[in-house]
Amino acid sequence: MVVAEGQPTDDNDRQTQLLRGVLDMCLLALLSREPAHGYELVRRMESAGFSTISYGTLYPLLTRMRRLGLVADEQQISPTGPPRKVYALTRAGRARLDAWQNQWTRFAGTVDAILVPTDHSPPRS
Amino acid sequence: METIDSVLSEADRAWRAYGVSSADRRVLAADLRLDLAAAAADGGDPVQLVGGDVAGFARRLADEAAVRRVRPEYHRLLLTALAGALLGSLLGAGIFTALYPLLVRLIDIPRSIEIPVQVAVVVYYGVPAAVVVAGAVTAVRLRLRDLPQIRRTALLMSLLLPAAGIVVTPITMAYAWSTDYSTAPEVLVVEVVMVLAALAGATVLARRLSLRERRRATGAAPDAAVEPA
Repeated sequence: MVVAEGQPTDDNDRQTQLLRGVLDMCLLALLSREPAHGYELVRRMESAGFSTISYGTLYPLLTRMRRLGLVADEQQISPTGPPRKVYALTRAGRARLDAWQNQWTRFAGTVDAILVPTDHSPPRS
Repeated sequence: METIDSVLSEADRAWRAYGVSSADRRVLAADLRLDLAAAAADGGDPVQLVGGDVAGFARRLADEAAVRRVRPEYHRLLLTALAGALLGSLLGAGIFTALYPLLVRLIDIPRSIEIPVQVAVVVYYGVPAAVVVAGAVTAVRLRLRDLPQIRRTALLMSLLLPAAGIVVTPITMAYAWSTDYSTAPEVLVVEVVMVLAALAGATVLARRLSLRERRRATGAAPDAAVEPA
């Protein structure tokens, strides 16, 4: 398994791998609450606890989701600065988010069931 | 704004090297500029946002946008055209050597008919030149058939190569006249380089023109209705 001395780096790598599989779902979920521009989404991810997500990762992903029709962008006039390109969830994006959420719930439940030890299976020494 | 420009310039160079068409580069850059400007207005530094590897970011962005990448392959194109032209010139010389005595024997133009010297020059130099161009175009069409738009490239070459030849010939002749028609090696090299440069330029131009494509929309699907928040 993982050697103790390399644990912090391995933890980060593992977190990155786990996040890679759910990042698009997280973005859709954040956009389902409120439309946002790219940088704002980075900050929302930071607030949610994912401080390792960079704009350089997120913006190409948003571009892909826009290409797939899961999100749409529109320019909004900003009173304090340049026009903002704001992303919002589309109907197709909403349907995809619902499907992914259901899949995630089942998946997380299965993983939890495996991870949580039952009384009948004491750990082996 | 200057930092956004510098990021976009670096990204554009990366997209160009990655084979992204100019139309797609403009769309990607316009989108990115808007987003970076909004981020900068919120206090984000564009250079830090994109990270140190702007080229890598630009390539990822092009991949995720699924833009069509076309590599011009100028190097292969020029080498193939040159090889075809050399083969064409050898073939042309062979055909000319074989047919010339035959034509002289078969076609006996009466002394009363005077052929203008310009016509003779055009036939004498034009026919071998046409064979050389045909060799270059045919080689490109056949050997590079794996490249996109190569049919159109070959078609444009068949138009632009003769045009380049027509333009460069008087220029080369003027240079030869200015050197008093010297046959010194360095003068001959310059003349050959002038002709080859014109032909190479026409070949590259043919490729560039053939790769011009309609601006492809990279936006969301037209029927992508926005979900109410």
